[in-house]
Amino acid sequence: MSQPDIRILLVDDESAIRRALRPPLSELGFEVVEAIRGEEALQLLRSSSFDAVLLDINMPGIGGIETLRRIRAVAPRLPVLMLTVRDAEEEKVKALDEGADDYITKPFSIRELIARIRTAVRRVRAPTRAEDALIEIGDIRLTPAQKRVTRRGQAVHLTRKEYGILHCLMFHAGRPVSNAELLTTVWGAEYREEVEYLRTFVRQLRKKIEDDPSNPKYLLTDVYVGYRFVDAEMLLEQAADPAPAAEEVEAADPQN
Amino acid sequence: MPEASNPVRIILFGSLARGSGLKALLFVLQCALGIIGVILAAALAHSFDWLLPVAALIYLAIVVPTALLCGFWQAVIVSLSAVVVHSFFTARQALFHLAADPANTITDNAVTLVAFVLIALVVSRLSARVNRNAQQAETRGEEMRDLYEFTRRTLAMNLHSEPGQQLAELVQEIFALEAVVIFDADLHQTYQAGFWNQDPQDLAQNVYYFETADDDPVSGIGRRVLRLGAVPIGSVVVRGDTSPMTNNAIASLIATTFDRYRAFVNESHIETERRTEQLRATVLDNLAHAYKTPLTAIRAASTGLGEMGRLSAPQSELVALIDEQAAVLNELTNRLLTTARLDADEVALRAAPVGVRSLIDEVVSGLKERLASMKVSVQLEDEKLELCCDRQLMRALLTQYIDNACKYSIYGTTISIGVARAHAETIFSVHSLGSEIPPAERERIFDRYYRSSMSSHRAAGTGIGLAVAKRAAQMHGGHVWVSSSQTEGTTFFAAIPTAVLQRSFS
Repeated sequence: MSQPDIRILLVDDESAIRRALRPPLSELGFEVVEAIRGEEALQLLRSSSFDAVLLDINMPGIGGIETLRRIRAVAPRLPVLMLTVRDAEEEKVKALDEGADDYITKPFSIRELIARIRTAVRRVRAPTRAEDALIEIGDIRLTPAQKRVTRRGQAVHLTRKEYGILHCLMFHAGRPVSNAELLTTVWGAEYREEVEYLRTFVRQLRKKIEDDPSNPKYLLTDVYVGYRFVDAEMLLEQAADPAPAAEEVEAADPQN
Repeated sequence: MPEASNPVRIILFGSLARGSGLKALLFVLQCALGIIGVILAAALAHSFDWLLPVAALIYLAIVVPTALLCGFWQAVIVSLSAVVVHSFFTARQALFHLAADPANTITDNAVTLVAFVLIALVVSRLSARVNRNAQQAETRGEEMRDLYEFTRRTLAMNLHSEPGQQLAELVQEIFALEAVVIFDADLHQTYQAGFWNQDPQDLAQNVYYFETADDDPVSGIGRRVLRLGAVPIGSVVVRGDTSPMTNNAIASLIATTFDRYRAFVNESHIETERRTEQLRATVLDNLAHAYKTPLTAIRAASTGLGEMGRLSAPQSELVALIDEQAAVLNELTNRLLTTARLDADEVALRAAPVGVRSLIDEVVSGLKERLASMKVSVQLEDEKLELCCDRQLMRALLTQYIDNACKYSIYGTTISIGVARAHAETIFSVHSLGSEIPPAERERIFDRYYRSSMSSHRAAGTGIGLAVAKRAAQMHGGHVWVSSSQTEGTTFFAAIPTAVLQRSFS
């Protein structure tokens, strides 16, 4: 096996989950260090460096959210993925507000987990994008300097707000952006509760950039939490899924 | 109130007849006393000359009280005796004095007699009326007191148990009745107190079924139908001394008590149900969450094995099976969680415009495997139909309907999904061919944990699915129902108000 390229700190109080995650992650090219509690994780973070943290939200002791807060205080750019359960939307939103890069809902497949970790790590490792740098994902190209959006080369006419939403999402491509964050960025802090507002605009936006607005490919909904724009890698996965051959490609990927 | 006074009179005569021996003795005694009085008065009047001119007044002083206190006939007899005694004394005096003219005396006597009888008549009539009124007033007063007491006792009644028996005993005790029987049509129960020489159950039920309300003065039996508004809810039959008005009042008090009991039971039932519901919701919630950790470990392990590769084909198949079943278990857990939340009213409706077509496509593709053996046809009134709803909830509802149609329909037949606008509602329908749902079960299948008793309707399931569908519709302000027949098949409907749409856009 080649030198592992991603070093992960896995923080979960449930040993069953740690035991289930370690072998496949190690096998697939990750180095896994385990911590049982947030306090322990913080200690480990001080003594060595990691590429990403998998952090369970529900833990005894200081808990996931507080651990995240303390991690952010010392490592603002370290990718942190929260492990959460369905129906815990408020926790998810809270985690995003506190600076989590992403969350993944239990129970998840290893493939999904790895894809999320890779996306987060990739984003951090990529050179910092300038605010006005051109962004191109799939068929969509956004030129901030001219506030221009094209789809397969064709200009897409967007209103100012629609452009604002799209820019915010594409700038953070791959990462979920919470409703409140989007509303604050585009409309201002006093609009952060107006989710219905946002929904209407996203609907309009999808009509303009998606082939099938009711089955979006680019602008995805994170139910109850917010929206995310796919990044290039996710698009590739989307295209490959659910062909079994793609699984092989994915699995083989780390070794290459 | 002529009706009211009638039985009073009847009762008076009745009691008169019952104590006739005593009455006759009293009558004779009263007359005798009156006659003695008259004789004494006559003797007195005739022994003092100055009293003689006012002798008639003295007799009157005896006749009037007799009429007042004893009655008309006693007064007449006393009057007659007064005339006879007076004549006798006058005649005796005349033998000695020869002062008066005998013919004149006879005329005098006849006039006096008529006058006395007239006075007796008038006075006794007057006094009888006064007496009767007083007696009636007293009876009424007593009845009022009894009714008041009855009202008080029914209000203080413990409504934790059926009130019928308590009521029967109370009525008998308070109104001093010989026997009482109450029929509660709702519970189909008869309650009796006292002794009946006929079958009280039949008696009371006949009153209820034929709606007879009457009073029989001979047997003393009063029958009443218990009503709430115009609706008969039972009957009461009493035997004893009560006026029809009292019987009416008793009947309405019993009806009110039955109503109060029902309201009380309903209320406490609802309260108990609510508490049980909350408890169950909490337990389900905890349970569902506790399932998540092992499920996560299983899923991570099985998918991990698959991702690591190096598995033989049969091994991969087994790993896939583990993964698949973990997914099924997870889905069940999620459903439990949803139900628990819905029941605990914790779910807030997150309404947003949803394309009906995409919603149905999503649900159908989610059920792809289940639907493999069935044909599916989707009929939309309008392809662009949109609805403002909670997508997750509506998806749960439709998934349940279609899943249900799969389970209970004939293999290989078509499941038709339809959406149509009607007035202010968007109506979803899922039709399938299968055995008929008995009419009695059509409401209940939407109840939690209800499983059809019919063997042909037995299939794997948690018995919570349709309850979720119902709650999901209710949360949108909509409703669900089912129509079913052996020939036409079964159709599940869900009507969701379209008005929600306007609200969110305004």
